[in-house]
Amino acid sequence: RGLAAARTSIGLTDRLPPAGHCYVYSLRVYSPWWAILRYRRRSRRVGPPWIWRCQNEGRSLLAGRLGGVGRVFSALRTGAEEAAVAPGASPDTQTHSYLAKNGGRKPRPQLPFNKTLQRNRKMAMGRKKFNMDPKKGIQFLVENELLQNTPEEIARFLYKGEGLNKTAIGDYLGERQFLWSFRLPGEAQKIDRMMEAFAQRYCLCNPGVFQSTDTCYVLSFAVIMLNTSLHNPNVRDKPGLERFVAMNRGINEGGDLPEELLRNLYDSIRNEPFKIPEDDGNDLTHTFFNPDREGWLLKLGAQKQNCFELYIRNNKGQLIKACKTEADGRVVEGNHMVYRISAPTQEEKDEWIKSIQVLGEGVAGGPGPSALTLGSRPFCRAAVSVDPFYEMLAARKKRISVKKKQEQP
Amino acid sequence: MGLTFFSLFSHLFGRKQMCILMVGLDAAGRMTTLYKLKLGEIVTTIPITGFNVETVEYKNICFTVWDVDGQDKIRPPWRHYFQNTQGLIFVVDSTDRERIQEGAEELQKMLQEDELRDAALLLFANKQDLPNATAIREMTGKLGLQSLRNRTWYVQATCATQGTGLQEGLHWLSNELSKR
Repeated sequence: RGLAAARTSIGLTDRLPPAGHCYVYSLRVYSPWWAILRYRRRSRRVGPPWIWRCQNEGRSLLAGRLGGVGRVFSALRTGAEEAAVAPGASPDTQTHSYLAKNGGRKPRPQLPFNKTLQRNRKMAMGRKKFNMDPKKGIQFLVENELLQNTPEEIARFLYKGEGLNKTAIGDYLGERQFLWSFRLPGEAQKIDRMMEAFAQRYCLCNPGVFQSTDTCYVLSFAVIMLNTSLHNPNVRDKPGLERFVAMNRGINEGGDLPEELLRNLYDSIRNEPFKIPEDDGNDLTHTFFNPDREGWLLKLGAQKQNCFELYIRNNKGQLIKACKTEADGRVVEGNHMVYRISAPTQEEKDEWIKSIQVLGEGVAGGPGPSALTLGSRPFCRAAVSVDPFYEMLAARKKRISVKKKQEQP
Repeated sequence: MGLTFFSLFSHLFGRKQMCILMVGLDAAGRMTTLYKLKLGEIVTTIPITGFNVETVEYKNICFTVWDVDGQDKIRPPWRHYFQNTQGLIFVVDSTDRERIQEGAEELQKMLQEDELRDAALLLFANKQDLPNATAIREMTGKLGLQSLRNRTWYVQATCATQGTGLQEGLHWLSNELSKR
């Protein structure tokens, strides 16, 4: 009953195939790396009750946590999420119901892609790469002819900044040669280079404001310093206006800048620090909507061929975790030992293994074991709280349920 | 109870505030050093636009470490700013033999600053874990530390990525500063 209710709530029909639509992601957030694996159970009809035990929502979530900073992570995701939030992204329902009738034994045909879709996908992939490593991202976009390798084009791309991490943009600019469309890096030399570039440009565009580029440069530098000392909690000794004025004595080609200008600057920074834009590309939605690979996979139990298992290669205190979200958006954690999944064909299995292995996760291919110890462990109800992915998922679920409530008064 | 009062007392009055500058050529390892100095504390990433500043507490001294750049043009603003600087940490990449001279010049320029007249100099000879690292003695000679007059200095071999030597450096600095 719970399952049926959940389905209607997310707009899926009852004729769902026993397969999950899966995706592989690589992601790097500017906090630690995370690896996430998700899997959506689609039907009650297939096989014995399996380890994911998806009771009410039928949504299960496998999150591999390779723990620690700097590790690549992979993610598999099922289609239900998209169906819930982006109906257009879901594959055709025709095949869905066909597979449902036939127990999901027929290999799923490759989805047709049109050119624009493919281009958008590559673009999104490039953005993701940029967030992971700015230089590589630009290189990827240039190689795939999505971006012209000219300063103007690259500048436009960075300025638009769609889906780009502001810290990554700042890093990229600091490496090569301002403060609202990216995050200024904290390293002194990088700040230096940027302020120098800013001053040159500013003086070119606003002739007559400063006597020389250097005046503008030193003042900008002093302003960044002021912002640091006034708003960084690590600085206990907050400077007053007199000190700021004293700091800037003699920077105007030996003379002083008008005190009113300095006072205005001081007040403006004290009242409001430089803000980093809110959309900083750390939103995982971009990542989760742009998988490295997607397709259909079956849970073992429905089919025992072309199986592969996910595990962590050097299992040093690292685990793969299985989770699911409750109807209220709460994420609860499962307690599983093995993660075996089967692909429709041998080739697809190899493809999956390849794309997961690229991400550094261990995958063991093989004919698959004949049986799994199913449902032998009680469901662990510990809530998972600190994980950007869970938080994103929980937030999204809440949004959907609120929307639903509004629609049905 | 008495102990509580004592610790509260020393907390309020015993702690010294020290402003420390950290200078070094780029890629010398200042960033890593700065964050490793936090000694396993969780570094809160409050997105404050500006310079990297960290407070590190060691014994009874609270160090405020600023990551600064020694360019000539921007001396005026920070000259006023760091008037009460008691310590200068200079980070050198021990493996970068080509730029040691550049580092030495930078250091000499810093030491000539009037505001840093009384500052104790702590030199972190970083990246000592790498095979081609310059030995401490050689480094001391190349940077001309022996010829310094009226300056307390100390060279510490470090490996910022592993955090080795940083504690020892801080220990020296806190000893030196508590003497004053």
